[in-house]
Amino acid sequence: MAFKVRMQIEGSTATIRLEGELDGRSAPELNELVVRAADQRVERLVLLLEELSYMSSAGIRSLVFAHQKMPEEAEILLVGTQPDVAETIRLTGFDRSIVMRETLEA
Amino acid sequence: MFACRLKVDGSGASIAGPVGDFVGALAERAGLATRPAYWLRLAADEITTNIVQHGYRGRDGVVDLEGGVDADALYLRIEDDAPAFDPRAYDPAPRLAVPPSVRELGGYGLMLALGKVDEFRYQYVGGRNRNTLIMRLTTSGEAHGGVDAERAGGV
Repeated sequence: MAFKVRMQIEGSTATIRLEGELDGRSAPELNELVVRAADQRVERLVLLLEELSYMSSAGIRSLVFAHQKMPEEAEILLVGTQPDVAETIRLTGFDRSIVMRETLEA
Repeated sequence: MFACRLKVDGSGASIAGPVGDFVGALAERAGLATRPAYWLRLAADEITTNIVQHGYRGRDGVVDLEGGVDADALYLRIEDDAPAFDPRAYDPAPRLAVPPSVRELGGYGLMLALGKVDEFRYQYVGGRNRNTLIMRLTTSGEAHGGVDAERAGGV
């Protein structure tokens, strides 16, 4: 499935919506947006993952990259992560460093 | 039996696309349920990416994939001509012990590759690395736990 990613920055929150498959081919696109968000000194990075059907270790590297690029006190929130993608994140232990929620409002 | 040969051109270009397509078709033909098919594809993606990046290290090379159903299991064999490397020897524990803020970015691939397949075998045969990934099938042809696992997983 084709990968699509787009970002909106409102106030101190950057929201990135991902669709399709996050792997070695598509991860650089996400990293570029993370760098832009970090340059804007946002305090909150929200990743909307309802439409993300696959994540390889390249995607995990992007999450670690985001964690390191964002200010130390910034929050990284993953919303609507599909079960297999969530399990992939858990296997690497990275779920302890981010917040995962079913919906944005929860 | 299903087989394909991928040529790595040394440019570092990702082979994730053709690997994913091949494994998807193999899983469908074998009747593997959605969730084990996801993990098989992830494992194949990680093993082949590791071969390209760390095995061939920017050199041209070949990655052979061959898969099929043998008795009650789906097998996927991945072979390459890079220097001998047994993925089972990779220990992720030291990396996981470090907080993400200071972790190295890489090193998760093999952990994911070996974490969810039913069986992983490695042999060095005739100068080639041979990685074999195995997913067991039930007698009905569907992977064990597949339907329940999908229900339990929710959306």
